[in-house]
Amino acid sequence: MFTLIPFLINGLTLGLLFALIALGFMLIVGVMEQINLAHGSLFALGAYVAYALLGPPLPLPAGVGEWWAGLPLGLRYALALVVAPCIVGLLGILIEQGMRRTYGKDPLFGLLLTFGAAMVIEDVIRSIWGTRDYILPTPDAISGGFIALNLIWSTYRFFAAFAAAVFILLTWLLIERTRFGAVIKAGAHDSEMVRALGYDLAKLRIGVFAIGTMLAAAAGVIMAPIWGIRPHMGVDAVIPAFLIIVLGGVGSFWGAVIAGLMVGMVIGLTAAYASEWSLLSMYILLIVVVTFRSRGLFGKKSILEA
Amino acid sequence: MQTPAHAGRLITPVMVGVALLLLTVPLWIAKVGLYQYIGVEILIWAIYALGFNLLLGTAGLPSFGHGAFFGIGAYAFGLTQFHVAANLWVCLLGGILAASLAGALVAGFVARRRGIYFAFLTIAFGQVFWFIAMKARDVTGGEDGLLPIARLPADFGIVSFDLTGNTALYFFVLALFLVTVVALWRLTYSPFGRVLSAIRQSELRAAHLGYQVVLFKMLAFIVSAAFAGLAGSLFAMAQGGAFPEVMALHYSGYIVMMVLVGGGMVSFWGPVIGVVVFLLARDLLGAVTLTWMLWFGLLFVAVILFKPEGIAGVFQDLRRRFSRQPQAPAQPAARSTS
Repeated sequence: MFTLIPFLINGLTLGLLFALIALGFMLIVGVMEQINLAHGSLFALGAYVAYALLGPPLPLPAGVGEWWAGLPLGLRYALALVVAPCIVGLLGILIEQGMRRTYGKDPLFGLLLTFGAAMVIEDVIRSIWGTRDYILPTPDAISGGFIALNLIWSTYRFFAAFAAAVFILLTWLLIERTRFGAVIKAGAHDSEMVRALGYDLAKLRIGVFAIGTMLAAAAGVIMAPIWGIRPHMGVDAVIPAFLIIVLGGVGSFWGAVIAGLMVGMVIGLTAAYASEWSLLSMYILLIVVVTFRSRGLFGKKSILEA
Repeated sequence: MQTPAHAGRLITPVMVGVALLLLTVPLWIAKVGLYQYIGVEILIWAIYALGFNLLLGTAGLPSFGHGAFFGIGAYAFGLTQFHVAANLWVCLLGGILAASLAGALVAGFVARRRGIYFAFLTIAFGQVFWFIAMKARDVTGGEDGLLPIARLPADFGIVSFDLTGNTALYFFVLALFLVTVVALWRLTYSPFGRVLSAIRQSELRAAHLGYQVVLFKMLAFIVSAAFAGLAGSLFAMAQGGAFPEVMALHYSGYIVMMVLVGGGMVSFWGPVIGVVVFLLARDLLGAVTLTWMLWFGLLFVAVILFKPEGIAGVFQDLRRRFSRQPQAPAQPAARSTS
């Protein structure tokens, strides 16, 4: 049993990270009942933008570039964590402008639209950064490793898991404990009534989409040092994200978090026995759960079932 | 999908026209700056897309994991060739059977689902098969692919045709394409196809009329997987190998893009138009820019936003505008439910 503890801890941190990856996707699907299949590409874009900010010097006008490069890496890292999501959030707003034409239609149209958008974003990334891999530099304070239980642990991984927990908590506060969250949830439930009460639902939806895509980008920045920055990272992110949402049940916040932890644990534990095949376990987990519980673990009725 | 003219016939004038046009392709394809292999590729993907549209356009079931069956067909073709018999008919049968069996397995899980949940589950299954193809290196060759798959001769007992040349392979694939067209035309406008259409419009209503909705959905899924398997087998032969790439999420999405851009939701021929546009765009745009997917993706987004009926829908609008008798207004884009 004791030998499994490293795998359990690994699974737990991985689970928190998966929940973080799914967070932006969950927000949009949970309160707007829209599938954002571009989530993975926005996630990747966030990582690439962070690389542009932290990697080799940018082709900025003289002075600005040196000033930026002269800042301590820790500060630049913190700023990248803010700037990258903001840039991606603007793109998210653009996608929402197209997406709104599909509201009220079959949710499949939104899914297809964002799939097309994902293709476009991926090719934009490829044309700017090429297909090679990049490594995101991290500040000294959170890189390296430490020794515990006779094993070497990566410091960054624990930092990332902690950051994931913070983001999860903030998102929960936003949708469950603020007026904004209450109105937007009401809007998904009965848009006519919310409009009648004088709320500008279109603006609120832009807000949700912007926050959802910003969360995608933030997850990308946080995951970048762990996964490395490469073109395929978008697909690597969107698949677990949708899987976690379906597993946890559409519309359930804690369902998604628990599903993320479950997926992390299952991958962590199967890695102990068959590391090659560990990713397969999450699909099997999904298929088994959804076969017996069609709405996932904590799913509520949603128009997506139509 | 509106019922076209000649829906009840085995062979329609349009089919004859398409067949005659396609028969002449080897004569002029090199002269317009293209090459023979693209013709083979287009026909193979057209078989795949037509079969896929039975599921998407007729039954309204958006499968996002269909690449799996295409890939399984390709691998099964190769494995049958290596381990069972190096006979074209046996190998093709192996490819179709393997894809149908995998289709039946997946259908058992997904047939009770609709809309987005159906799409999600098919993504998950597609990823499972893709993952297995990547990791089971002993069987599939992993990322390097299953090599080398030979272009076996088409043996008819009395005569045997060598298919190693691209032109010969083109005619062989064309024959199978025409068989596919006739078979799927009959199926789409048969009572079976009508029930699938009814399920697309309202699953509940179809169920209340006494149809076993789950059974029909399963059958549609299996038939469409079988055609994907046939196309995959031919693709393995054309490429000389089977590769996991076509099973990845991207390729499963491409087939959806092709069918929708072409107008599979409103027209039987839509998928074929979509395949031609997609593959020509890949080659022609790809020659100019490495990021051709950017432009095709934008086209796809524009189609979804402004003309969900696709290119075939534009044609139908034009024909309606120029025809004497005003016809009934176009149906709204097909939806998974109403």
